[in-house]
Amino acid sequence: MNKLLRFLIVIFPILILVFFAKVLLIDEEIKFSNFEKKNFPVFQLNDLQGNQVKTESLDGIKLVNVWASWCITCLVEHPFLTKLSNNGIEIIGLNYKDTDAKANAWLQKHGNPYLFSMYDPRGDLAFDLGVTGAPESFLLVNNMVVGHIQGEMSQSKWETIFLPLIQKARQDL
Amino acid sequence: MIGEISHFLSLSAVLLLGLVLIFNLFFSFDKFHPNQLMLSMRLFNQACWLVFISFGMYVYLAISDDFSIAYIASHSNSQLPIFYKVTSIWSAHEGSMFLWIVFLSAWSIFFINSLDKNHPLKKLTLLMLSLIILGFLLFLLLTSNPFERILPFGAIEGADINPILQDPALAIHPPMLYLGYVGFVISFSFISAYLLNGNFELQWEQDIKNWSFVAWIFLTIGIALGSWWAYYELGWGGYWFWDPVENVALMPWLAATAFMHSLFASSRSNVLKTWTMFLGILIFTLSLFGAFIVRSGIIDSVHSFANDPERGLYLLSFSGLISLFSLSIFAYRLPDLNSSKLVVTGSKESFLSMNNILMITSIFSIFLGVTYPLIIESISGEKISIGPPYYNTIFSPLILIAAVFIMISVDALWQRSMSLRSLFFNVAAPTLLSLLSLYLIWMTTGVFSILAYVGIFSGLLILVSYLFRIVNNFFNKKYINKGSAVAHIGLGLLFFAVSMNSILSYEKNLNLAPGQSIMVNESVQEFSFKDIQVLKASNHDVISAEIALLHDEREISLNPQKRKYATRGQITSESDIHASLLKDTYLTIGDQLENGSWTFSLKINYFIKWIWFSAALMVFGMLLTIFKKKVL
Repeated sequence: MNKLLRFLIVIFPILILVFFAKVLLIDEEIKFSNFEKKNFPVFQLNDLQGNQVKTESLDGIKLVNVWASWCITCLVEHPFLTKLSNNGIEIIGLNYKDTDAKANAWLQKHGNPYLFSMYDPRGDLAFDLGVTGAPESFLLVNNMVVGHIQGEMSQSKWETIFLPLIQKARQDL
Repeated sequence: MIGEISHFLSLSAVLLLGLVLIFNLFFSFDKFHPNQLMLSMRLFNQACWLVFISFGMYVYLAISDDFSIAYIASHSNSQLPIFYKVTSIWSAHEGSMFLWIVFLSAWSIFFINSLDKNHPLKKLTLLMLSLIILGFLLFLLLTSNPFERILPFGAIEGADINPILQDPALAIHPPMLYLGYVGFVISFSFISAYLLNGNFELQWEQDIKNWSFVAWIFLTIGIALGSWWAYYELGWGGYWFWDPVENVALMPWLAATAFMHSLFASSRSNVLKTWTMFLGILIFTLSLFGAFIVRSGIIDSVHSFANDPERGLYLLSFSGLISLFSLSIFAYRLPDLNSSKLVVTGSKESFLSMNNILMITSIFSIFLGVTYPLIIESISGEKISIGPPYYNTIFSPLILIAAVFIMISVDALWQRSMSLRSLFFNVAAPTLLSLLSLYLIWMTTGVFSILAYVGIFSGLLILVSYLFRIVNNFFNKKYINKGSAVAHIGLGLLFFAVSMNSILSYEKNLNLAPGQSIMVNESVQEFSFKDIQVLKASNHDVISAEIALLHDEREISLNPQKRKYATRGQITSESDIHASLLKDTYLTIGDQLENGSWTFSLKINYFIKWIWFSAALMVFGMLLTIFKKKVL
């Protein structure tokens, strides 16, 4: 027992150290997954004001951002989204597993970069989209999902993943 | 020029501390000479003074707007009042690290000079402290140099401090927190020295007791102030968010609390010594872990500083090295440390050992909550957030167990089992009374939530137990440990207030045009939007709304504001709060809608003030313990 304890006192911190070193050293380079284009799932949801969301509102080039008031990383990426929205990028929120009161209060406090936010308290649409957690962002071109970013949206992810796709889509349209 | 002198003094401190280490390592094999310690002490004291003077000059640089220093240029501004020019030093990574080191040196120099010159552990403690200060000074100068100049031409004007940091709370919250964090370097170094020394006949508890108590007070105040600041000044709408950075402050606090309890048992009856030593090492280890989490940017948080892998790697290796060093000696010495003395079941010591186990469980749960998202991220590449639901479910049973043990143990004696009769009375009366109060709460509020009710019940158990104890003291003149009673009543009150707050508070979103008024619910009978104005202040524009409320037959007027800062274009919300004994009316103004009306968020928060009050009680209880004539 004592031997095991002595062993653990030393090994446990070493494991933690190794783990953190590994996390730090992971190349921050973003992996391009072979993302397959797919149609945006069919859905029936209201926005946060209680109006039904029309499918036409997803036409054109749109960014769908999955967020929630309980999500700290969403707060971290929020200033960047605000910057994008000020630069004319159209962002639609997908409020995920949240309550509308909390979500509206969050938007009031931190500002609202979204054209509107779809209200998905049970995560139905999110499930169909293949969302694993908040935040996540999808790039839509005419109701087709063409790009996907998991986790915090940053300048570098934006520039390497979404921006080329948007430029291509603008030429095509 | 002054910048260079300040920089040079810090570099000289590195040199002197290096000399202390080299000198002692090379000559330690020779016969110990008293002059050796004297010389090391002089070098060490001078190194600390160099750090203090260097920091003093840095403060002068900030006050005199030396924007050729890159750090000052990007965090201060000539328009700022002098007060904020000084506090801007610790508003970001480099300067706050500098302050951290100043406090580290201050604790160290006070402690080491308070030790008798013949104290057998003095030399080893001195070496540990020198090593730690040296490591952090090198970290500062190599990876986050606050003295760096913008060459060849300095900036003409500074970039300004982040508006949310233009607050008096910034002047006290980080310094208090740092004083608490680094204060435990004393127990860490001293216990490591004791373990290295290998003479286990020595009594070491008394030498670090009061130092650790004072550090605990700073840490408690620091955490409570942070929570207060977030709620009242930053307008985050709550007082605790289980944010990773809050969690890494809570972990050393829990370890420190366990350490102090365990220290009583060790110094009083020579038991739980290994526990106490382990906890004494653990506190500072967790503080270092916290510094790593916050300063490496490894976790997304509203608190974290800019992401820099190089800094993270240095901090990780250095903190890891010294923590591992101490833990390894501890593991190596463990077989020799086990005391032959056994803890009597039902004695005060047995409850204290229970406390240790509960605290370690809590620390581990928080640790898991902090690292779990990282583990998931490294396995599957997904980023997730672990929020309040996890912590609430984990903590409510832990709190209940803790409360039950506190209730049973109020009458416990040192080294003696308690009688079944007193055990029965200790349990039966508080349980019945608490259940009754819980029923009354349920009847009056009509709300039910299992987690919150567990919390309320736990709080009541502690409060009622101590109430009985006080009554007993008053009428039967039975002994009562005042410090302990006050601190534990604070804890009971904290459980109670936090849980009541969670079931009673609510939030309403409103939409009104100027001149309109509406009824919100039975308690807020009238909400009228009198007027809205746009004003100009020195460095920002203000939109200020005038609201009159009729809340529980009481007229309240509130002025929530929105500010737009010129230099950064940042918009901040200034909530207005009306606080009464039982509840706070908390109003934030949102955006203007197309039809000209404005959105408001009205929050009614219950028992908020009680939370700060309970933290104050804990600190006061600790002070009573420190200043009691005969402690232990």
